[in-house]
Amino acid sequence: MAGGQERILRRRIKSVQATRKITKAMELIAASQIARSQARIAANRPYRDGMKRVIIEAAQGDPAAAKKLLETPDKVATAVVLVITGDRGLSGAYNSSALRAGERLVKRLRDEGTTVRLFAVGKKAAGFFRFRGLEVEESFVGFADRPSFADARTVAGVIAAPYVAGDVQQVLLVSTRFRSAGSQVVDIEQLLPLSVPDVVVDQAPAGLKGYTEFEPEVEQLLTYLAPRALESEIFSALLEGAASFHTSQQRAMAAATDNADDLGQSLTRIMNRARQDSITTEIMEIVGGAEALRSRK
Amino acid sequence: MATLKVEIVTPEAALWVGEASSLIARSSDGEFTILPQHTSTVGDIVPGVVRVQTGEGELAFAVHGGYFQVGPEGSEGVTLATVLAGVAERTSDIDVSRAQTAKERAEAAIAHEGRGESGESAAHAEATAELERAELRLRAATK
Repeated sequence: MAGGQERILRRRIKSVQATRKITKAMELIAASQIARSQARIAANRPYRDGMKRVIIEAAQGDPAAAKKLLETPDKVATAVVLVITGDRGLSGAYNSSALRAGERLVKRLRDEGTTVRLFAVGKKAAGFFRFRGLEVEESFVGFADRPSFADARTVAGVIAAPYVAGDVQQVLLVSTRFRSAGSQVVDIEQLLPLSVPDVVVDQAPAGLKGYTEFEPEVEQLLTYLAPRALESEIFSALLEGAASFHTSQQRAMAAATDNADDLGQSLTRIMNRARQDSITTEIMEIVGGAEALRSRK
Repeated sequence: MATLKVEIVTPEAALWVGEASSLIARSSDGEFTILPQHTSTVGDIVPGVVRVQTGEGELAFAVHGGYFQVGPEGSEGVTLATVLAGVAERTSDIDVSRAQTAKERAEAAIAHEGRGESGESAAHAEATAELERAELRLRAATK
């Protein structure tokens, strides 16, 4: 009967509204996290810039040593790929776009004859790659939302080990870069050998070139400096990843909330029509009944 | 006027930025002092206390290893000294009792480790690093 349909609709509306409450809450939480993670990116900037300056300066101090340490080899037999994703879903395309880019990169490297060793940050990666027949050697989980520098250090230590041992010739990073609140882009970057922009030599103020002092000497300094620079790079990638995750989640949850609003509205309309129909039917029955009684007289 | 601008930064935050008259730290080549107009230098900093002399007195920082860079900054006569440290804190911010417990915990971990077979395990290295950090904190805070 019509009344039954109305009850079903009422129940659905209630469930849609409950879902909306959850998505709205997640949206607000994500929004507050965006501000926090953006502040952390800003706080990290002086360190990151300082680290870059030190590397550039050291590389200029002894180009020969730098070249040996920083140059990409012509032939890469084995490469490490690190993919940074989130620990949780419900964040739009954040996880899947980084994972897809990682998958494409692995495929391309394999086509070029390079053996790939895969590492990942975030819970979502292992399952994704296993399903596609790729084994993740190690997944780092539990800190993708709020990475600390100690986390970056752990990751750096693990992925640098095979490079230091000479087993791999290149370490690549796939992560989401936080360009601005409106734009986050998945990017592939070379972590090791450290990439120092080629233009640096020209950028140095004339007359200062070659006058920098080093303690201890450059070659030793660069050797110590490389792992610190790697940690710094990974840390900023983690921070940007976290900010991108929250932005993406906020956007996804805002869309879900809007959707729930629309759905609730159209369900309410359907329900009202159903209720009106049942009232009309009832009136018709009463009128019909009264009509029948009168005509019997 | 020649001035010295000092930045002490960690990956999590810029710990202190300001104008100073000198900066004293220790690199693997020995202790050094940076004054305004210092020549461009890049080097490492071994774990220890970094002292910054400012107009309002001396500031001390416990720096757990890092790097420094000195160079001229954009504007005329300003020398910029940047200290990059993975972990660092103001000595006045150090919680002595916490550092003391951390030290005891690390010592216990090392003693425990010593009874096992593995000499150079990752846990051992971590405990040693923890102990060094705690000892530096205590040294810096009580000085």
